Amino acid sequence: MSKRVLTVDDDSDISIFVKTVLEENGYTPLVARNGETGLAIARDEGPDLIILDVLMPKQSGIRMYRELKTDESLKNIPVIILSGIAKRTFLRSQEALTEFGDQSIPEPDVYIEKPVEPLELAETVKGLIG
Amino acid sequence: MKMNKILLIDDEEDILDVLSLSLRSDGYDVITAASGEEGLKAFEKESPPIVLTDLKMPGMDGLDVLKRLKNTNPDTEVIVITGHGDMDSAIDALRYGASDFVNKPVREEALEIALKRAKEKLVIREKLRAYTLDLENMCHIAIGEVKRKSDFQDKLITSSNDGVVATDENGIIVIFNPGAETIFGISRIDVVRKTEFAELFPPETADAFTLMFKSGKEMGDVGWKEVTIHRENKSDVPVRFSAALLYDGEDIIGSVGFFQDLSEIKRLEQELVKSERLAAIGQTVARLAHYIKNILTGLKGGTYIVNIGLDKNDTDKLRTGWCMVEKNVGRISSLVSDLLTYSRERSPEYRNCLPNDIVEDVCELMEGTAMENQIKIVRDFGPRVKAVSMDPDMVHRTLLNLVSNAVDACIFDLDDTKQHEVSVKTRLEKGNIIRFEVADNGCGMNEEVKNKIFTAFFSTKGGKGTGLGLLVIQKLVYEHGGSIDILSEVGEGSTFIVRLPHKKAV
Repeated sequence: MSKRVLTVDDDSDISIFVKTVLEENGYTPLVARNGETGLAIARDEGPDLIILDVLMPKQSGIRMYRELKTDESLKNIPVIILSGIAKRTFLRSQEALTEFGDQSIPEPDVYIEKPVEPLELAETVKGLIG
Repeated sequence: MKMNKILLIDDEEDILDVLSLSLRSDGYDVITAASGEEGLKAFEKESPPIVLTDLKMPGMDGLDVLKRLKNTNPDTEVIVITGHGDMDSAIDALRYGASDFVNKPVREEALEIALKRAKEKLVIREKLRAYTLDLENMCHIAIGEVKRKSDFQDKLITSSNDGVVATDENGIIVIFNPGAETIFGISRIDVVRKTEFAELFPPETADAFTLMFKSGKEMGDVGWKEVTIHRENKSDVPVRFSAALLYDGEDIIGSVGFFQDLSEIKRLEQELVKSERLAAIGQTVARLAHYIKNILTGLKGGTYIVNIGLDKNDTDKLRTGWCMVEKNVGRISSLVSDLLTYSRERSPEYRNCLPNDIVEDVCELMEGTAMENQIKIVRDFGPRVKAVSMDPDMVHRTLLNLVSNAVDACIFDLDDTKQHEVSVKTRLEKGNIIRFEVADNGCGMNEEVKNKIFTAFFSTKGGKGTGLGLLVIQKLVYEHGGSIDILSEVGEGSTFIVRLPHKKAV
């Protein structure tokens, strides 16, 4: 059975694009349009990898990433952050949350700034889960 | 002055001796002269304040001496010695300015009294002189002070940058300072004492003055008001003016108006608005770059999928990819259009149009997206909204933005139990105004969001919004002379009300 990759992005274009890249490279894509459903699918399906956007309505990727990394059953799933914002900004927001009393969490496995080339994405996924 | 110096003139040696002896013993400094001529010489030399002279003398007599002394120094106290019972001579002497007379034989008491009186007169005169001098000095100082004050006030008025225009109680202009000359573009020579305020002031100002004169104290001063002064052959001047009546006690003695030139302030204000707009664009280029990156991602994704579709001859993939490309081309063009509209000054282009038809077109455009998301678009168009002249493109753009925001607000709403609805209403209002109302029952906005929605590049739609839409709408509405109001409750929905003035269709 092919490996399953959850992509969480509110932008339908990105979703379709990531989904297509995954399909073309032999993975099974799971699609969520916001952090809330993303987390629900992650819990229900236990995907092999999560590709996460940062700026989304309802629940942002910043929060969802923390939830993933603090949940015992989910924290070992590798995460690729795919975002329009700079990695520095994302890390700083995580540091700020840590300072506010939340526990410290590890950096994402891979951080990719949009726009992403199909080949780059495919190889990153392959590098993480084979 | 030495008050106890006496010149004693008598041709009779004995009397001279006796009187001088007795006067000296009373402490006087006595100069004696045996004739009128001698006496005058001594007077010139010693200038005594008191002269005691016999009337009957050979050569120059006492009356002559008196006349000449009084001529030389009218302040001299001259006491004449008259023969016993010679009242006529005494009266003559008094007429010529003698201060007193004593009869012969000279009795000491009589002389003492006469001298005392003379001295008193001298003292009084001296005091009077000192007092007069003092008064003159004080007068001089006071006049100087008044002049200085009036000069000061004059300079104050003259050098004021503000225009100061004062009228008398009849409204005739009496003061017109250089500031006023500049603001009104007229020389003071042409108005002072020639012109009534009503002829010079702009109508609003003239009315305020007239009312002020009419109602007197009851109304009080006229506070700052802004008006525009139209100058002949010159550009208009925006000013603010205030006015007050001038009173002398209870009586109105005139009025004064102050005019401040606002041209510079207005210019700076406009510059500030311009530079704020530029700064807003500059500061948020990063935000914009993010948005463009998203579009770029969409385009790349689209072409990638199109390529796969071509490779595999997969029509579904082709269609999906092409849709993405088309959509993102659309996003780019609307972004560019928003940016241009926002950064460019634009006047509304009035054309005949049917507002209800424009709004119907907008509803039709949004119907597809709305149906996909189970949102109902409810139309409520006022039947009295007929053909008018306004900027139809602006109306279309505004309504499309508002309706699409309303649809988004329903899509973003977490409450799935609601039957989501967007209602679009048009109404005719008083004063040639059309009210456009777009209401939704979507997610609504909290105070923070409400305060920020007209901020450049603020967006609640993640990467989907440019954060320019409402800002552009606001600018278009303002340029059209209209207003935009918002009502919103979190979880209840939002209502946007746009009021636009229109002209009669031609």
